[in-house]
Amino acid sequence: MELTYNRPFFSACRTVERLFRILAICLALLATAAHAQLTIEITGAGGNQIPVAVVPFAGESALTPAISDVIEADLARSGRFRTLYTGPQNLSDTSTVDFAPWRGKNADALVVGGVYPVGGGRFEARFRLYDVPKQAQLGALAFTLTVQQARATAHRIADFVYEKLTGERGVFSTRIAYVVKNGARYQLQIADADGANAQAALSSLEPIISPAWSPDGSRLAYVSFENKKPVVYVHSLASGKRQAVANFRGSNSAPAWSPDGRSLAVVLSREGGSQLFLMNADGSGARRLLSSSAIDTEPFYAPDGQSIYFTSDRGGSPQIYRVAAAGGPVERLTFDGSYNVTPRPSPDGKYLAFVRRDGGRFQVSVMDLASRQVRALTDTGRDESPSFAPNGRMILYATQVSSRGVLAAVSSDGGVKQRLSVPAGDVREPAWGPFLN
Amino acid sequence: MRAVAVVRGVVALGILLAAAGRAHAIFPDEEARAGVRRLEERVGRIEADVGQRADRKALLDLLSELETVRREMAALRGQFEVLVNRIDGLDKRQKDLYVDLDTRLRKLEQAGAEKETAARQSAAETQAYETALAQFKANNFGSAIQGLQEFMKTYPTSPLAPSAQYWIGNAYYALRDYKSAIAEQQKVVATWPEHAKAPDAMLNIASSQAELGDVNGARNTLRLLVGKYPNSPAAEQAKQRLARR
Amino acid sequence: MRRALLGLMAAALVAGCASTGTEEGSGVAVEDRKPGAGGAAGSATSVPIGTTTIPGDPLKDPASPLAKRSVYFDFDRDDIKPEFRPMLEAHARYLSSTPNQKMLIQGNADERGSREYNLALGQRRADAVKRTLVLMGAREAQIEPVSLGEEKPRCTEQTEDCWAQNRRGDLFYSGEF
Repeated sequence: MELTYNRPFFSACRTVERLFRILAICLALLATAAHAQLTIEITGAGGNQIPVAVVPFAGESALTPAISDVIEADLARSGRFRTLYTGPQNLSDTSTVDFAPWRGKNADALVVGGVYPVGGGRFEARFRLYDVPKQAQLGALAFTLTVQQARATAHRIADFVYEKLTGERGVFSTRIAYVVKNGARYQLQIADADGANAQAALSSLEPIISPAWSPDGSRLAYVSFENKKPVVYVHSLASGKRQAVANFRGSNSAPAWSPDGRSLAVVLSREGGSQLFLMNADGSGARRLLSSSAIDTEPFYAPDGQSIYFTSDRGGSPQIYRVAAAGGPVERLTFDGSYNVTPRPSPDGKYLAFVRRDGGRFQVSVMDLASRQVRALTDTGRDESPSFAPNGRMILYATQVSSRGVLAAVSSDGGVKQRLSVPAGDVREPAWGPFLN
Repeated sequence: MRAVAVVRGVVALGILLAAAGRAHAIFPDEEARAGVRRLEERVGRIEADVGQRADRKALLDLLSELETVRREMAALRGQFEVLVNRIDGLDKRQKDLYVDLDTRLRKLEQAGAEKETAARQSAAETQAYETALAQFKANNFGSAIQGLQEFMKTYPTSPLAPSAQYWIGNAYYALRDYKSAIAEQQKVVATWPEHAKAPDAMLNIASSQAELGDVNGARNTLRLLVGKYPNSPAAEQAKQRLARR
Repeated sequence: MRRALLGLMAAALVAGCASTGTEEGSGVAVEDRKPGAGGAAGSATSVPIGTTTIPGDPLKDPASPLAKRSVYFDFDRDDIKPEFRPMLEAHARYLSSTPNQKMLIQGNADERGSREYNLALGQRRADAVKRTLVLMGAREAQIEPVSLGEEKPRCTEQTEDCWAQNRRGDLFYSGEF
C-alpha cells in the first residue's frame, strides 16, 4: 500500500518530526541512560483529515514543553488531523476571534488558550475550541497544573479536542508498556502514548515477555525468566511491589486479564503440555479451562468477558480459536494459511487483530468478526504482539527494521502508520494501556 | 539376546576367578563367598536391567508411534475443521441463492398469472412479507417464523400466503425442528396443492423425515412428489435422491 | 590383587554391555544430518554400567556420555530422533542410580513467529525429553521440564543452520542452573 502525502500535511509531518527530534535530544540530555527515549516517526497518513489550527497559548513559554506544541503533535500523530501552521498570533482564550483569516486557511477547527500563573508555583491553563465554518465555540476547559504537569495537561486538552471533533475518545493520556533489550539487559518500560516519560518498571538480566495491563491500569502482569524458567508476575506500578502469581512446576506464561480485573487466564505446563488455566488475580484457585493434547496458548478475553480467544495447534498448525470463558466447545476462526497467532479482539469486540504468516512474512491482520473477512494491515514482514489502543483506532505492534526491534503503530483501517524506536536498543512486546479516568 | 550371553559369560568368568582365588588361598573362604554373593547380586541386577532395556525400547518405540498418531490426528482434525467451514460457507451461499431465485421466480409468476390480483396486493403486504423473509436471510429463523405467522394472520388470502407458509416450514427446518417443519409444509401441500411451492414443500418434508431417521417415509414422500408433480424442478431433485440410495 | 580382579571383572562387564550399546545404536550414524547430531551418535560406544565403581564425578567427566546435554529437533517437531536415545539412556541411568539428583530440562525454539507460541513449542520439546527419560528409568519427580522459547538463542543469525541449533532441549543437573 503506497501512501501519498498531501503537501500541507507533509510539511506538518516535517515540523512534527523536527519537533520530536529536538524533544528527543532535550530529553536525552535530561534523562538517564536507562530511560532511553522512544521517538515517533509518522510513516503514512490517512485520508479525510480534519484541518485544525492550534495557536500557541499565551504565556506558555513559562512551561516546558510548550502546551500547544504537544497538542499539535498529538493531533497530527493520530492521523485524523491536518495541523495548520499558525505562526505567532496575538490570540488567547480571552480574545474575540475574527474567523475570516482562519476560514481563508480552510481551518475547520481552531484551538486558542493561555497559561496563567496562580501563585505557589502553580498555573492555570485555559483553552477554547472553535468550529470555524460555524463560527461557534465547541467547548472550553480550565486546568490547574504544576510545571511538571505541562505535558499531561496538553495531552488532556488534545483528548478533549479529539473527542469533540471525531466523536471518539482520544488516547493521548494513555500509557504504553514495552520491553527494551539493551545488550544483556532487559527493561520493562512504561511511557506515555507518544513515547515520552519512559520509565523502567523492571530491570533484569533475564528476558521479560508478554506484559498485560490490568483493566484499571494500576498493574502489569508479565512473564519473567529471572528464575531460569518462565514465571508470571503481577506488578503494582504505584508501589513497585510484585508478586509471582503463577510459579508452578514447569512453565508459566501468557497472562491475560479478565475485563473485571478479578481473574487471569494463563498458560501452565504443570500437568504436561501448554494448557489454558483461569486463576484469581492473586494467583489462587487455578483451574483448567480446556484440555487438549495440543498447544493451547495466547489467551485473550473478549471485551464482554464472555469468551476467550486463543492460539492452538490442535488442527496440526497454529490457528485462532474461541471458547466460552466458562469452558465448552471451541470454535475455529482462522482458516487461511498455516500460521495464524496472537489473537487480540478490538475494544468494541467487532474486530480481531492477529499475526498471520503469508509466504515468509508475518503481518498484523484484522478480521471483521461478523463477515470473517481478513486483511493485512502492514507492509512490514516480521510483525509480533499486536495491541489495540483503548479507542480501537490504532494497533501498536512490534516489528523489525534492519534486524532491530522497533515498535510500529497502524490505524485499524491501515491508513495511518507510525514507527517508534529507541536509539541503540531492541524494543519489543508492546501493550497499550487502558483509558485512565 | 547376545547381551544376555555376554553377561552369562562374565558370570562364569567371575565364578572361575573366585574359585581360583580360593584354591590359591589368596583370601579367606568367607571373603570369597561374600565376593561371589556380591557378584551374583550384581549380575542379577544387570540381567534384570538388560531385560528392562528391551522393554523400554518397546515402550520408546510405542511412544514415538503415539506421537506420530497424535500428529496425524491433529492434521486430520485440521482438515476436518477446514471442510466443515467450507460446507457452512456453501450452505449459506446455497440458501442465499435459493432465496434470491425464489424472489425472482415469484415476480415472474405474479407478472404472468396474477394481473387481476396485483391490485389487491398492497404495498404494506409486500413490505410485511419482505421484512419477515429478510429475517430468514439473516439467519434469524425464530423471528422469521414469528413475522411470517403474523403475515399469515393478517393476509390469509394473499397470493404470497403459500410462499409465506413454505418459508415457515423451511425456517423450522433450519432450526432443526423437523416435526414442526413437516407439519407446516403439510399445510402448504394441503391448502395450495396447485401452487408452485407445493412440490418444494414436499421435498422439504422428505428432507425433514430423513433428518428424523424415517428413511422409508422420506422415500415415500419423494415418490409421491415425483408422481404428483412430475414436471417440477423439485421432482428432478427427488429423482436424484431416490436414485442415490 | 583383589582390587585388580574386581576391576578386571568390571571392565569385562562394561565391555559386554558396550557391545550391546553399539548394536542398538548401529543404524544411527546414517541418520546424522543435523549439526550436533554427530557427537551424540558417537556416544553409543561408551554406555557405562555400574557407575558407582568409576571414581570421580561422572557429570564432570568430558569423556562420559553424561557430558552431552543437548537434544536437537527438526522444524516444528518434538519427537526425539533415534540418535539421541543412547545419550538420554545414559542420563536416565544416572538419574535412576542417584535418586536424590534433580534435573531441569530447558526447551528452546527458533525465533520465527510468536514468542508465546514458541515458548509452548519449547515446552513440548522439554516434555518430550522428560517423557523419554522417564520411560528409560528416571523418576518423574526428578525432572522439571520448562521452556525458554525463543528468548535465549544459542545462535543469533537468521539462517537455517542457526535456527536448527536453537531448536533444542538442554539438560541441567541441580547446581548447574
